[in-house]
Amino acid sequence: MLFDTTQLALERAIEGAGKRHEALAANLANANTPGYQRVDVDFHSALTAAVGRGDEATGALNALSFAPTRDASAGATRADGSTVDVDAESAKLAANALEQQAAVQVAHARIGILKAAMGTGT
Amino acid sequence: MSLFGGLEISASGLTAERLRMDVSAENLANAQTTRGTDGQPYRRKEVVLQETPGSFGASLSAAMGANKGTQGGGVQVAGVVQDTATPLKRVYDPGHPDADAQGYVSMPNVDTVTEMVDLISAQRAYEANVTAMQAAKQMFSRTLELLR
Repeated sequence: MLFDTTQLALERAIEGAGKRHEALAANLANANTPGYQRVDVDFHSALTAAVGRGDEATGALNALSFAPTRDASAGATRADGSTVDVDAESAKLAANALEQQAAVQVAHARIGILKAAMGTGT
Repeated sequence: MSLFGGLEISASGLTAERLRMDVSAENLANAQTTRGTDGQPYRRKEVVLQETPGSFGASLSAAMGANKGTQGGGVQVAGVVQDTATPLKRVYDPGHPDADAQGYVSMPNVDTVTEMVDLISAQRAYEANVTAMQAAKQMFSRTLELLR
């Protein structure tokens, strides 16, 4: 097999970060919507669980789906019942973007190694 | 959600916040207007925002249990409503052509301070959406680097 579990996990992490970005962007877009409850994508724990499956990790990783869920634990930060804290959302957004870029960087480096092994250069 | 879902969501936020800014500006511009379009003193307007409901496909797959999450996407304007709850200000000015028999003029229920605060809030929310958009752009371009 050309691509191993780690490469697959990296790809799924990039996808999960993309979905999480959509959720966080939706929270920021709804910063002034009364009664809005923030959404989030917990792709970390889904990935961790899939990678921990050992031999079945590849199948588990392929079956992963990242759906946004309502964050019911978040308390209202505003008088209108909205649970969006713009500062916290911005911080999460920036951290998520960095995480995605880190995953891309590693995936890129791994592809470079494969290319070098194939003798096509980087 | 399409390939550039993150950008679309932020764009919907930009549209909504811009409209809030426009409406606040309209309220400020009409703070002294005693003759609105209906001949009555101007009443301040307010934007009502709501979450964009998920697409039909997303709702269907959620109902079928394929996707347990909630598929939301951005924000949309539910409507622009007139504030009829706040009373009009009564100002004594017998010389004003719109003064009533007692010499009082009904002035719009626009509070300049409230409008300024709304304006700043809309501006900051707009900036937050721009930041999210820039982050999305950066993420997309980084992902494209995988092809290089």
